[in-house]
Parts: sequence; C-alpha cells; structure tokens
Amino acid sequence: MSLPPPAALVDVERGTVDRRIFWERELYERELERIFARCWLFVAHESQLPEPGSFLTTTMGEDNVIVARGRDGVIRAFLNSCPHRGNRVCHAERGTARGFVCNYHGWSFGLDGALRGMHESGAYERTPGFDPAEHGLLQVAQIDAYKGFVFATFDAEAPPLADYLGDFRWYLDILLDNDDGGTEFVGGCIRSVIACNWKVAAENFAGDALHAGWTHDSGARAMGGASVPTLDGQESYQVNVNGHCWEFNLDLVGNAATFGDKRVTKNLRVREQELAERLGPLRARMIGAISSATVFPNMSFLPGQQTFRTWQPKGPHHTQLDTWVLVNRSLSDELKEAYRKGVMMTFSPSGVFEMDDGENWEYSTRSNAGVVTRAQKLHYGLGLDSRIEHPELKGNVFRSQLNDANARAFYARWTQLLEADSWAQVNDR
Amino acid sequence: MTPAKQLARLCAADALAVGEMRRFELDGAPPIALYRLADGFHATADTCTHARASLTEGDLEGDEIVCPVHFGTFHVPSGRALCFPVTEDLHVYPVHLADGDVHVELS
Repeated sequence: MSLPPPAALVDVERGTVDRRIFWERELYERELERIFARCWLFVAHESQLPEPGSFLTTTMGEDNVIVARGRDGVIRAFLNSCPHRGNRVCHAERGTARGFVCNYHGWSFGLDGALRGMHESGAYERTPGFDPAEHGLLQVAQIDAYKGFVFATFDAEAPPLADYLGDFRWYLDILLDNDDGGTEFVGGCIRSVIACNWKVAAENFAGDALHAGWTHDSGARAMGGASVPTLDGQESYQVNVNGHCWEFNLDLVGNAATFGDKRVTKNLRVREQELAERLGPLRARMIGAISSATVFPNMSFLPGQQTFRTWQPKGPHHTQLDTWVLVNRSLSDELKEAYRKGVMMTFSPSGVFEMDDGENWEYSTRSNAGVVTRAQKLHYGLGLDSRIEHPELKGNVFRSQLNDANARAFYARWTQLLEADSWAQVNDR
Repeated sequence: MTPAKQLARLCAADALAVGEMRRFELDGAPPIALYRLADGFHATADTCTHARASLTEGDLEGDEIVCPVHFGTFHVPSGRALCFPVTEDLHVYPVHLADGDVHVELS
C-alpha cells in the first residue's frame, strides 16, 4: 500500500485529518527524519546541569543523546553511541561524570564528546591514518538556550533558535521571565510510557480546552471542589506561531486551582500587580489560567500547574512522557514543595488528570488498528471562522479557546515539514 | 658500593600550590608528574600504567590521581594502583627540597 503525500492527509481549510497519521510506520519514519532530526528539540533546563561534569541523557526523536556541561562550563549535546561498535556509552539518566567510557572496548570520551583514548591504545597509534579527533561522539548540529531552556537540533540548516521560536518567545516569557531570579526544575523527572501516538498528546496540549470540562470533571471536583467552568462565552484565545501553540483563558488561577492548595493560588493573586507591571495586564492574567501549550514538535506545558514535559516518540503507537516541575528560583522552599507535590497529585502517571488523559489517548490511537476505522477522517473543524486581529496578542490569533485552530496549525506545520526537502522550503507561519 | 644519586631540579617550591600538579620532561627519563599535596611534594611517572595517558591531564583528588582516559586511580605517595583498569603500580621518584627548589631522584 502506498500512502498519499502528507499534504493530502491534512485539510486545514475544511478541518479534517486522516487517521493514518497516527498509525502508519512509514509516516512515523518520515517524522523521525523530517521533524525530529530537523527541528529544535528541548533537551534540558540549565538548572539540571549545575556544574562542570553535570550530565543527563535524553532522546531527540529515537536518537539517544548525552547533554553535558564541560569543564569550560559550556553545555554540549552528542549522540550516546560509541563510533566504534555503536554501543551506548552512558546508561545513567543523569549525574556527574569525568567523562564517558564505553563498556565494550574502553573507548573513552571527554565531557566535550572528544575521543580521549581506549583500551590497548598503542595498537591504534600504530594504525596508519587513525586520528582520534575524527572519532568523537557525534555532536548535534546546533545547541542554544532560551532563558534557561536548552534546545538542540541535528540540522545545520535549521534557523537560529530565536527565529524558530519567533514571536512565541513573547508568550514563553510569561513563565520563563516573570521574575528577576529566573527559573529552575525542582525535583526529578517523572517518566512513563503511554500507548498513544506522540501527536495525540502534543495536539492535546496545543489546543484542546474542550476536553478539560468533560474528561477531567471528576478530577476537577475532587481537587478543586468544583467542575471546570463553562468556557464558551468567556474571553479566551488560541494563538500560534510556527506551529507552536498556546490556548488560554484570562482567569489568572484556573489551572493553579486544580492543586486544591490555596497557598499556590494566593501567591499568584498577590503577584498580579507586579506581574502586570512586568508583562502587561493581559499576559499577567495568563500566568496560571486555564490553558495549555506545545512548543513544536513535542514539548508541552501547563501554566499554573507548572508541569513541563516532552512527548518522546517510541514507535508510532507509543510515547514516553518525561515530566518536570518548573518554578521561579526565588520562590520559597514551601511553595516549591507545594508545586512539586501538586504536579505529582495531578499530572504524574498516578495523577488525577493524567490518568484521565492516558486512557483517552491510548484508545484514540489503538482504534486505528481497524482498517475500516482508519479510513474515516477525523473532525478538526471547530472554530473555522474564528481568526481575528488583536491589538496586543502576537502570532496567529483566534477567538475562544474552545477551538481546533491550534490543532490545525500544528498539523499544518507537520505537513509543511514532512513535505519539505530542507529548511529552505519551510516558511515562518 | 651504592650508585650515586642522580638529582634533577624540577622547579621552585613556590611554583605549585597545594592541590596542583605539573608534568616535566627531562632528558633521558620518562615524563614525570610532580604533585603538591597537603603533606608536601610527591613525584611519580606521568604515564598511566594501563595505556598511554598523561596523568597530569587527569584529576588530583586528595592524595589520589585519576587517569583522564579510563579513570584508573593511583595513590600518589606510594604509586599504588587502586582500581580497574590499572593493575601495575606507578614508579615513585623520591623528592628532595633544597634552596627553595624541588628536585627528584632519578636513580
């Protein structure tokens, strides 16, 4: 069977998506090549690498990488695979190291990824043409940071990170730059695997406010004492830039309230005036509101709950979810702990909201095993006429967070990247 | 009759602070690593006994030197090999201080 081209699978004008994009291995392989080996991907928060020798391992697509701070203080990322026989050279999730030595033949690499020697190195020294400088761990093509968030790309032709994020930085600043002290991840990484296609999760955070009041009703009542408020008719928006998506209300504390912890909501209310002076009154109201966001392709977060996560593809039908908790460095230890526990209660594998989502996403993926089922296109047509101009909001702006506009923008970007042979064919949008 | 001691001057004693080390290459001898520990100066062969690495490119931690390549570790004062992959001890050179200079005994 041959698949139609990606552009024929997504119709953003009519609002339809072909279910095969969530199921077919062939499309998945193309995603690894044209999205994950090409886009800027989140790899670390600088606070996870506090000193020379600090490292962590993560994945970019299905490529395992080591992210390490060198003796010179510089953060680098390189493949976690020995160029000799391919073995993984670092098996730890994170830690502090002098370097990385392959278990197989003792090839040894510095914190900069350079080959420093191996077992029986004398034999290599007598081998004509062997130059250790040519056999280090393969470096990513580009690595850069935006306000503590480190991103990397395997594509030397990718635009600079600042251009890749574009005006989405104006929105990211709400969480990354609302305090002079900057941010940090508190606690460790919560890691789980969900039997869903990675896009099902990424598009949910990109723009699915509709599910909140239905999927999460019992959880919202249990945690906050009330159902999610009716969103239709409230002032709310979806915005997107280059496939990066944020859907939001302006209710200041709607998401934060799901912790059921008044210390957290009170802190946001107390700060509203200060935030308004720094970010303007509109962005200040977004700080903990009912909202969600995805940085294309696979980093998502929830303002208010402060959970940041990546959806790591593990084949077309499985996604590894890595979750962290973002806080301002200047926050009191008591409040940092409140956020850490709050995320565990709500958006960890046993959290009241994450369990709700996982069930839905698994069946949204699994259903497509059926050949007849798979042939029916899905509806993504909510809010087809909702595009507006806004005097303040940047990017593409849509009225009402009850909308498929961001999902359509996410899949438009997905289509554009799968169709393009190189970054030269990819436009800002 | 014992052979005469052959002393070689390495540097002034104040050239190294406690916790520092330096590699010296002398005519007719393999490279030497000089360390200044809390209890004074020590000298060993600079080349790891496992392969070819220069130990002074590694980490000096207390009285242990860690090879930069496979992290094999030696006890500096005795030259004793402490962990895999090093099994052979380092040669240790006696150190003499005279007139504010550090000398090592080559034979």
